[in-house]
Amino acid sequence: MLRMSELSQTSQPHAPVATHDAEASMIRATVQHGAEPPTSLGVDSRKLGMWTFIGSETLFFAALITTYLINARINAGRPDFQNPKEYLGIVFTSMLAAILLASSLTMVLSLSALRRNRMGQFRVWLLATAGLGLCFIGGQVIEFTRLYSEHVTLQSSMFGTSFFVLTGFHGTHVGLGVVWLLSVFARSLRGRYSSKNDMDVEMVGLYWHFVDLVWVGIFTLIYLI
Amino acid sequence: MADLHAHHRHPGHSSSDRLYWIVAAILAVITGLEVAVFSFNLDHTLTILILIVLSVIKGAAVVMFFMHMRGDAGIFKFVFVAPLTIAISMGLIFLLLFSNHSGIAG
Repeated sequence: MLRMSELSQTSQPHAPVATHDAEASMIRATVQHGAEPPTSLGVDSRKLGMWTFIGSETLFFAALITTYLINARINAGRPDFQNPKEYLGIVFTSMLAAILLASSLTMVLSLSALRRNRMGQFRVWLLATAGLGLCFIGGQVIEFTRLYSEHVTLQSSMFGTSFFVLTGFHGTHVGLGVVWLLSVFARSLRGRYSSKNDMDVEMVGLYWHFVDLVWVGIFTLIYLI
Repeated sequence: MADLHAHHRHPGHSSSDRLYWIVAAILAVITGLEVAVFSFNLDHTLTILILIVLSVIKGAAVVMFFMHMRGDAGIFKFVFVAPLTIAISMGLIFLLLFSNHSGIAG
């Protein structure tokens, strides 16, 4: 069976030889030196994949938020109407919003420390991010428990259904983010990361900031408006 | 071959950290403002407008500074902004179409 270089020779006997081989050699040399092979768009594919995922999640949460906002008006005309203003605590939720914003700060400080090879600071800020995420989840559990005790449930009204689906999915995303952060922390203890190898941390950072971004939208559109 | 990570390493990280703290402080102030606006019992439409503007500022700050979109490759901006635009358009259109509609919910 003919190799690519041989095929090019047989089809175009006067064409430059082994263009394919030269490109393959270049890629091998790049990979051997630890750098990523070149991509057609000139950016890291993993980062592009994460941003694309964030784009799809944007549409996902927009659909849930839109459903809530449409149901809010329908909810008002139904016999099982539950007024969100009577049940949603703004002070407590503002604290949760502040916690999540603080976790975004600790996440970006963690990445910054890693890029300066300050491994101790990197791990401290990373753990702080996971800790604040857990505080947020704890706050959501407290809020959900209180709402359930006041008979606001998934089935109690359209407000209950759309509220719990939206905030439940967001809380799940936060929970998965915490698991991801802790797994990155565990890998960092094995010397996995450095200023030259920070893409994993950048990706979890992008995910975490997006989760915070979604809460910015939920807090304004669901709790305040 | 060019290291794809090269553009991530830039000098002056202590100044970056200061910027992050400043942005976080601004975000905290804006969150406080949002709660204050909510408490003031202003005209409903004005309240909605102010809250949306404030949350857009917060969101933009998180995306540009914490997610490093500012100064990053244009393709990242595109794969985020395009779905965001579709999402906002979809939301507004659905609200316009179905806000007075009882639908399958009765």
